[in-house]
Amino acid sequence: MDQVPQLPVTNSLGFYEIRFESIGGLGAHLAGQMLAEAAVLRMGLNGAHFSSYGSEKKGSPVKSFVRVCAPTQQVRTNSPVERPHMLVVFHERLLRHKEVLSGLYPDSIVLVNTAHTLDEMKKRLGLASGTVAVVDALKIAVEEKTRVNTAMLGAIARLLPFLESQAMRDTIRATFEHRYPQLVEANLRTFDRGYNEVQKETLHGTATAQATEFVRARPQLGYVTAPVGGVIVNPGNNVLKDLSAYRSGFIPAFDRTKCIDCGQCDLVCPDFCFVWEKTLDKRQRPVMSLKGIDYQYCKGCLKCVEACPADGALTSIREVEGYAEEHTVKHSWIPASRHSVSAVATRAS
Amino acid sequence: MAVVRKEELSSAAPQTVALKTGNEMAALAANQINYHIMGYYPITPSTEIAEFLDEMKAEGKNTVHMIEGDGEHGAAGICYGASTAGGRVFNATSSQGLLYSLEQLPVQSGTRFPMVLDLVTRTISGPLDIRGDHSDLNFAVHTGWVILLARDPQAVYDMNIIAVRVGEHPDVLLPVIVAYDGFFTSHQKRRVEFFSDNDAVQRFIGQRKQPYVTIDPRHPISVGGYMNDPDLINNHYQHKLAMDRAYQVIPQIFAEWAELTGRQYPLVDLYRMDDAEVAVFLINSAAETAKDVVDRLRAQGYKVGVISPNILRPFPIREIQQALRNVKALVIGERADSVGGYGGSISHEVKSALKDDPSNRTLVATRIFGLGGKDFYDDEAESFFRLGLEIAHTGKVEIPYDYSDVTPGDPAQAPVQVLEPLRKEDVTLGLTSVEKDEETGQLKVRISPPRALTERPKRIVSGHGACPGCGIFSGVDQFLKGIEGDVVILFQTGCGYVVSTGYPYSSHRVTFIHNLFQNGAATLSGVVDMFEERQRRGEIPAGEDITFIMVTGDGGMDIGMGPAIGTALRNHHMIILEYDNEGYMNTGSQMSYSTPLGNMTSTSHIGPAGRGKSFQHKDTPQIMAATNIPYVFTGVEAFNQDLVRKAAKAQWYAKHEGLAYGKILSACPLNWRSPDDMGTKIVETAVNCCFFPLYEVEHGITTITYNPEEKGKRVPVTDWLKMMGKTKHLLKPEYADELKAFSDEVERRWVRLKARHESPVL
Repeated sequence: MDQVPQLPVTNSLGFYEIRFESIGGLGAHLAGQMLAEAAVLRMGLNGAHFSSYGSEKKGSPVKSFVRVCAPTQQVRTNSPVERPHMLVVFHERLLRHKEVLSGLYPDSIVLVNTAHTLDEMKKRLGLASGTVAVVDALKIAVEEKTRVNTAMLGAIARLLPFLESQAMRDTIRATFEHRYPQLVEANLRTFDRGYNEVQKETLHGTATAQATEFVRARPQLGYVTAPVGGVIVNPGNNVLKDLSAYRSGFIPAFDRTKCIDCGQCDLVCPDFCFVWEKTLDKRQRPVMSLKGIDYQYCKGCLKCVEACPADGALTSIREVEGYAEEHTVKHSWIPASRHSVSAVATRAS
Repeated sequence: MAVVRKEELSSAAPQTVALKTGNEMAALAANQINYHIMGYYPITPSTEIAEFLDEMKAEGKNTVHMIEGDGEHGAAGICYGASTAGGRVFNATSSQGLLYSLEQLPVQSGTRFPMVLDLVTRTISGPLDIRGDHSDLNFAVHTGWVILLARDPQAVYDMNIIAVRVGEHPDVLLPVIVAYDGFFTSHQKRRVEFFSDNDAVQRFIGQRKQPYVTIDPRHPISVGGYMNDPDLINNHYQHKLAMDRAYQVIPQIFAEWAELTGRQYPLVDLYRMDDAEVAVFLINSAAETAKDVVDRLRAQGYKVGVISPNILRPFPIREIQQALRNVKALVIGERADSVGGYGGSISHEVKSALKDDPSNRTLVATRIFGLGGKDFYDDEAESFFRLGLEIAHTGKVEIPYDYSDVTPGDPAQAPVQVLEPLRKEDVTLGLTSVEKDEETGQLKVRISPPRALTERPKRIVSGHGACPGCGIFSGVDQFLKGIEGDVVILFQTGCGYVVSTGYPYSSHRVTFIHNLFQNGAATLSGVVDMFEERQRRGEIPAGEDITFIMVTGDGGMDIGMGPAIGTALRNHHMIILEYDNEGYMNTGSQMSYSTPLGNMTSTSHIGPAGRGKSFQHKDTPQIMAATNIPYVFTGVEAFNQDLVRKAAKAQWYAKHEGLAYGKILSACPLNWRSPDDMGTKIVETAVNCCFFPLYEVEHGITTITYNPEEKGKRVPVTDWLKMMGKTKHLLKPEYADELKAFSDEVERRWVRLKARHESPVL
């Protein structure tokens, strides 16, 4: 580190700030850590790194924050990055949540891990200014048998000239060689491919069009409206949640024609995705029949495929966009005993 | 904060620059101190300290003897005992962990045995919140320990090493707490420096010299004899004098440390306070955020500053008086309240210090902020300064005590019922039935096939945030398929609880209760007995019938063993269902007592000096069977008919006789390091290798309900161990000893179980 790099732009406190939007398991936390380590330990800058924490598990949304500043400056702030100079989206599905893009500056860089083209992503993001960049980090990671995080780091290094690629590569090596030496070369290749394969375009709209104020989330309930004691008076409302972002590329496909209604899938599904209905069998006796899968809750664990004894009734397929929406069978959440059997009898006849 | 200037560092003790979190720095300090013993128990967000220390131990970097307690109460006892025996002792905890060990702490300080406890501050329940405020610290201040505060990761390292010297100082002899902010400091990486060489730390701390120890037969002593009046007051006066001396000793040790490292710690950190007319008083990380705001307001011409103590016990009264002498208005921001006390505890201490200075004219207001880890942004800090400026301007404190930035809520967003409650007829379907054969006394169980069981409405519904492939919910749901009628469910703290109840959401369609990590069995005892008592008094119709089920992880059965056994001995009409995923998965895969020998967990690493978990797995069903409750069983989701049948029986026994206990082995793909789709197969193999036999103990009579040997399905334990990343190292030749010890133990327990199956008297 002969010369400490100059930051292209900083906020009023002197920081260049990066926010990662990801889901647990993709390695965004580690990527943020490696980025901060490269900047602080190998490039002579000062900085900080931390992630958002809750009780959520693998597959749930997570944010990671990196701040870098001049070496002489102290880091004192502890709050999350609300206005990122660079926003890195690790999972395209997160773009469904509008707040992911919250707080961008007119000239912020937005990098998305996606198989879509740059033009498609520009359209989807609908930004007026700043820089949009895309990289198919999942494809790179699958081909290199790594995770998307080092591909994203490669892309970031390309987009941020002040980051020294060699410092990043050295950090990746140092991170993996201790515990997973066999992963060093693959991760360096992943980094290089991210660096080489990222595509970007700077938009030239009016600068004022883009600046989006960060909207701080407020609680749904407050001290006037919340039932006392933290009691939840509408339990079961978790069914409102959409868990599809937990999936990592695979999904069970259901073929009704091959299903024998044995119920084995229902016994092992941790997320209660199987939708059953009461129908009449050939002898007009009421029986339970598997209607389909409610993909809103499916996390893609594929335990059901493993448990299914009927050849081809449940199979694992690579999830393509729109498949789940097209094939989902929604839970009614009304107990089958309240179904009028005659109303559904047509299916069995 | 202490600013690092390389050129100021002593040339004799080179330091390394790194980017590390507060927890990493705490572990690094403990590693360099090389404590004799760390007694601890996992709790977020302090758990990482033990994990990192254990990891370094496995790499051969320290020789700290790590003891994971059966709960924080046990861990604190381990630490106390270890400290009486004369070596150096370390512990780390947070929140409920501090509260559960609370009664140990004044005993330790009152009997004058030093140790260091890192308190990684976190909100205390309830409701449960894992993030950071100072409500736990609020309790710690009354324990008689020295309390050092660490505002950032660098200070965590420094204070941890200083703490050893302070506590062991012959004029002090007190245990020391180092308190730093959960997540804000514990999990944030900052640029830090530490001694490159452990010797520098060893030279600084020297040897512990304890006047009395409990392991010297030539110098016998009695520790903890009972003491009534008039002696106790004198003992406490000694304690008070020791704390007074700590007030003198701490600046000397801070000065020594500054000499050595270049990092200065005054007793009270003052930021631009020299000519400040308005000040904000804050503890730990929030004070740093406020300093940025001071710079901004100073640039606008406002004379403002931040005052923030580096020690809390002894309370630095003189320095606070001095610093506030010319301050017109002070706003004290507190990350904890003492409800009904009209000002957090710290406010009263600051006000009291000011009252003792007759020349002081400072006007004081308190604002409670950031509870439950709510982020403290610069705009909120600025609002504190603005309030102070207004008070200074008007000369009046309109509202001396209030909360900052609370939300009334929008009535339009009031909770709406998403799911209709289940009616009795929705859940009473006759899918399972149990009858007692009056002649043989045996229960006759009839269960429907899986297809028909799908009609049972889910009492726990979709939308929970468990990991893909989690075995908890499939296992618990299978069990509930066997339960007819209304249920009330209690979960002890654990993954199953946290992922199903993130406020204001819940996956529990039926009535659900969570209380503490460890006393769910006691809590549900109270619920079920109140139900019965109110029914007896006619307040609830005689026909009403509810099955009460407590669900717990294996961790909950470690810390909650006492309440579970108490509930069993009292034989309440309820069910305890344990999902055993062989570790504290909710806090990040620390070993539990149910973790098998040699398993790799985050507190039982493998490496050149680490062999995985050091003792055999707990046999909880046999412990529960020894309480002579009417029904004990084991089950796995891979044998669903077996499990549903046992559920139906458990319900019958809970209704007619008393406590039923069952353990389900439950896959955790994340921490077992196994594919998401393999959970069912892995627990099936655990049964077939006889690690987890399927059996029941009914009125003391053992029946193996599935014998893999008779079915020709028995496989060696290695077939099971090789399926999981946490165990496959056991197949390597260098772990032959562990593998043999483990398979011998599996065989020993299996043979004994078969003997019990054969003989009704065993």
